[in-house]
Amino acid sequence: MRSCSLAARCVSGAMALLSLPACNGLFENLYDEPAAVDSGFEVVDPAKHTGRIRIDATSYTDWNYVDLRNRKITTLPVEAEAPASWDFAVHRYDAKTNGGAVAETGSGDFETLALPADGYVEDEWTTDRITVDMSHMMDGYLVYADSYCNAELSKWLDVDTSTMPPVYTASKRIYALRLQDGTAAALRLTGYMDDAGVKGMLTIDYLYPIEP
Amino acid sequence: MNIARKTGGLLWAALLWTMQAAAQGYVSGTVTDMSGTPLPGATITIQGSATGTTADAEGRYALPLPAKGNPILNATFIGYRSEARMLGTGGQGPVDFRLEEDVIGMEQVVVTGTRTPRLLKDAPIVTRVLTADDIRKVDATHIGDLLQSELPGIEFSYAMNQQVSLNMQGFGGNSVLFLVDGERLAGETLDNIDYTRLNMDNVERVEIVKGAASSLYGSNAVGGVVNLISKRQTEAWTANLNARCGAHNEQRYGGSAGFKAGKFANTLNVQHTSVNSVTLKNAGDYSTVYGSRTWNFKERLTYDATEKLGFTARAGYFFRERNSSEASKERYRDFSGGISGRYDIDDRNRLEICYSFDQYDKSDYGVRNKTDVRDYSNVQHIVRGLYNRTFAQRHTLTVGGDFMRDYLMSYQFADNGAKHQYTADAFAQFDWNPSLKFNLVAGLRFDRFSETGANRLSPKLGVMYKAGNCSLRGSYAGGFRAPTLKEMYMNFDMASIFMIYGNPELKSETSHNFSLSAEYIRGRWSLTATGFYNLVDNRIATAWNRQLNGMQYVNMAALQVAGAEANAAVKYPCGIGMRLSYVYTYEHIRKGQPLTSSTRPHTATARIEYGRDWKRYGFNLALSGRWLSRVETDEYTSAASYEETERVRYPGYTMWKLTLSQRIARGIDLTAAVDNLFNYVPSYYYNNSPATLGTTLSVGLSVDIDRFFRK
Repeated sequence: MRSCSLAARCVSGAMALLSLPACNGLFENLYDEPAAVDSGFEVVDPAKHTGRIRIDATSYTDWNYVDLRNRKITTLPVEAEAPASWDFAVHRYDAKTNGGAVAETGSGDFETLALPADGYVEDEWTTDRITVDMSHMMDGYLVYADSYCNAELSKWLDVDTSTMPPVYTASKRIYALRLQDGTAAALRLTGYMDDAGVKGMLTIDYLYPIEP
Repeated sequence: MNIARKTGGLLWAALLWTMQAAAQGYVSGTVTDMSGTPLPGATITIQGSATGTTADAEGRYALPLPAKGNPILNATFIGYRSEARMLGTGGQGPVDFRLEEDVIGMEQVVVTGTRTPRLLKDAPIVTRVLTADDIRKVDATHIGDLLQSELPGIEFSYAMNQQVSLNMQGFGGNSVLFLVDGERLAGETLDNIDYTRLNMDNVERVEIVKGAASSLYGSNAVGGVVNLISKRQTEAWTANLNARCGAHNEQRYGGSAGFKAGKFANTLNVQHTSVNSVTLKNAGDYSTVYGSRTWNFKERLTYDATEKLGFTARAGYFFRERNSSEASKERYRDFSGGISGRYDIDDRNRLEICYSFDQYDKSDYGVRNKTDVRDYSNVQHIVRGLYNRTFAQRHTLTVGGDFMRDYLMSYQFADNGAKHQYTADAFAQFDWNPSLKFNLVAGLRFDRFSETGANRLSPKLGVMYKAGNCSLRGSYAGGFRAPTLKEMYMNFDMASIFMIYGNPELKSETSHNFSLSAEYIRGRWSLTATGFYNLVDNRIATAWNRQLNGMQYVNMAALQVAGAEANAAVKYPCGIGMRLSYVYTYEHIRKGQPLTSSTRPHTATARIEYGRDWKRYGFNLALSGRWLSRVETDEYTSAASYEETERVRYPGYTMWKLTLSQRIARGIDLTAAVDNLFNYVPSYYYNNSPATLGTTLSVGLSVDIDRFFRK
C-alpha cells in the first residue's frame, strides 16, 4: 500500500504542476500578436518621394480613394460620388484611376524602375467586375456594381476562383500610373493580407511624383 | 544413450513423487509440435498465478496444482500458438499439448477492444492488428499511408483546401476515434485530426476495432477506434538512422536512440519530412498539391520502481508547415505530454492512473513580415483512473473514469474567442470466461458534458464462441459523438459568401452497431468474414437556415450503414505470403432524404509477397494493391436551398505498389519502392482522386547502429 500511495502522490503532484499554469495551453510567446493596422500612409520618405500605403479593402461595398498629393485615403460606398481629389482607388483587389492610365513595367524594384513609353491603359466602364455581394456564389452568380475599372492596374493580383479556395498570384510588378495633371506615379501591391492572414488588407508601395 | 534415458526417467519419477507429497495435486504431460517433436523450453503456467515450469529436453513437464478451483493450464512456446486447458481439481491424468506454429500472428497481444491485454485469438471484440513488420513493408510514414494500404474500406481524400478527410466504411473522421497508447488527440480541421502527426516512428503495432466503442472510449467512438501502441525499450541500447528520398523531392530523415539501464528505460525519436509543391497534369478541384515540411519529436521515459510499480513519462512536439500560398504558410503545432503510473497490487488487482496533455495549434506565417500569428488552439487535459480485478483466475472486472477539460480558441468563433467544457465519465466492464470456449463481455459507460448538459449511457455486449479452428463473435455496441465546442459556438464568415453558425441545442450523434464474425484458422491459413449493421442517428452537419440566412449545425436524419468484410491470409514456409481483403458497404437513408455521403461501395486490398532470410542477407518483395470502386452521391445544386440535388458519379481506381526490402548486412536495410506501378493518372482530379502524376520511385536506407556491436 506504501507503493500505491507513493504512486498516487507522484501522479497527482505532476498533474498539479502541469495543469495549473497551462489550463489554456503553453508556449503562447512562440507566436506574434497581429498588429492592428488602420488605413493610411506610412513610412513616407519625402526626399525619395517614396511611401507605403495600408488599405483595409476587406469590404465588398466600398471604394478606397487614394490622394497621393495630399496623402489621404477616403473610403466611400461603391455607389457614392468620388471625393473631389483622388488619384486611384481600390475595391478589394480591383483598381480604378481618376481619368489616368496605367502600364505594367518590367520591374518589381523601384531602384531599377524604367517607365514604359507606351502601352498605357485607361479605365473602362464595367458591369461584371466590381462584386458587391458574394452571398450567391454557391448559386452560381454574383452581384456586381456598374463602375469604372482599370484592367491593367488590377493585374497586380490574379485571383483564380476556379478552385476553392481561390489561388492568389501577385504579379510583383510595378505599375506606372499617368495622372490627369500630367504627373506620374509608380505603384506596387506588396501585400494583400495582414499578419493574421485576413485577405483584402492591402499594402501598396509607391513612388510619387516621379521626376522626369 | 539408453542409460541416460533410464536415469532421466528415474529422476522424473522421483520429482513427481516429491511434488505429489507437497501439493494437493499435480499435473504432468508433454509439449510437442504437431508432428510430435518435443518442444524443450516450452513454458507451462497456471493462469492467474505465479506457478509455472518449463518443459525438459524430452518436452516433459510436471506442475503442482492449487488446492481450490478449476485451474487453467497454459502452454506457450515462441513461434507457436499457445494452448489453454481447464483442469478439474485434484489429481490429473497426463495433459499433453500439441502446439501449432503461429504463422498468422495470433499470439499478438491486443488491448483496444477490452482495455486489458488479451491475445488476439482470445479477444472477444474483432480486432485487426497491423504490426511493425507491416509498417516496414508498406514503408509508411504516417498512419494514413498505413491504413489506406492495408485495410479496405478506408479512404483518405481531400476536403476543401486540401485538408485531409477520412471515410472508414461510411464513417467520417470525427466518428472514428484515434488514440495513441489509449490517449485521445486534440485538434481538428474540417472534422479530421492531423493524421500526419501520427508518424510510424516507434510504433509497435496499430490496433483497429471497427464499430462503436463508446462503452470504453466515450465520444467519437461511433464507427471505430484506431489505437497506436508504442514500442517498449527492451535492449540495453539501440540507435537507428534512416532516410528516404522520392519523387517531387520528397525526403524523410529519422533517428532514434534508446537505452535501458537498471530501472530506467528511455527512447527518443526524431523525424523530418519535406516535399515540394506539385502542379497537376490535368484539370481538377485543385491545381497544385501543396508542398510541406514536418518535424516530429517523441520522448518516452519509463521507471520501474519495483516489479509491481512503474511509471511512464512522455513528451512530444510536432510541427507542420504547408505551402498553401506564396504570401503565407499554414503552420500546425502540437505539444503533448503525460505521466502514468501502474501498480500491480497483487496477482489479481491492478491499478493505473494517468494524466495526459495535448495542445494543437494552428497559425499563419506571413512570408513578407515573418510573423507567425496563431488563430486556433485546442488544449485538452485528461485525468484517468483504471482498475482491473481478476476473479477465479479468468474473469476480469474493469472499472474506470476520466475527467477532461477541453479548451478551444478559434478563428471560427466570434472575435477569435475561446470556449471550454468539462467532461466526466465512469465505466465498468465485466469479461466473463465460464469455459475456454465461451466468453462474454458486457460494459456500460456514463458520460456527462458540462456545456450541453448532456448525459450519455453507452452499453456493449460481446460474445465469443470457439469451436475447433473456428471462432465466432457477435456484438452489440452503442456509440455517440457529443457536439463539439466548434459545432456549438461557431460564428464564421466564409469568405463573405455565407456565415456558418454553431448550435448550442445540438443533440449527440448516436449509433447502434451490430456485428457478427467468423474466423477460421488452420495451419498457414486464416479466413475471416464479418457482417455489420449500424444505425446512426442525429448526425451533426451544416444545413442552410432561412431565418439566419446562413449555414448552421443541425442534427440530420438517420442513416443506416451495413456491409460485409472478408479477409484471407496465407503464409508458406518457402517465403510466399498473401493477404486479400474486401469490404462491401451499403448506405441507406429514408426516402426523400439526400444521400450526400460518398462512401465507395466496394473496396479491396491485396498483398502478395516473397521473402527469404539468410545470415548475411535477406529480402522481401511485396506487391500491394488497393481497388476502390466508383461511387454515386447526391450533391446539392445550391448552398442556400436544400430542395434540389443532382446525382454525381466519381470514378473508381486501382493503385499498385511494388516494394523490395533488402537486409544487405547486419543492421542495414535498403528499401526501394515503385508506387502507382501501372501509371494511373486521373483525367480530372476530384477531391477523392489520388493526387498522383503517375509512377514514382522512392529509395530508403535504415541503419541499426547497435546491431553492429551486438554479438
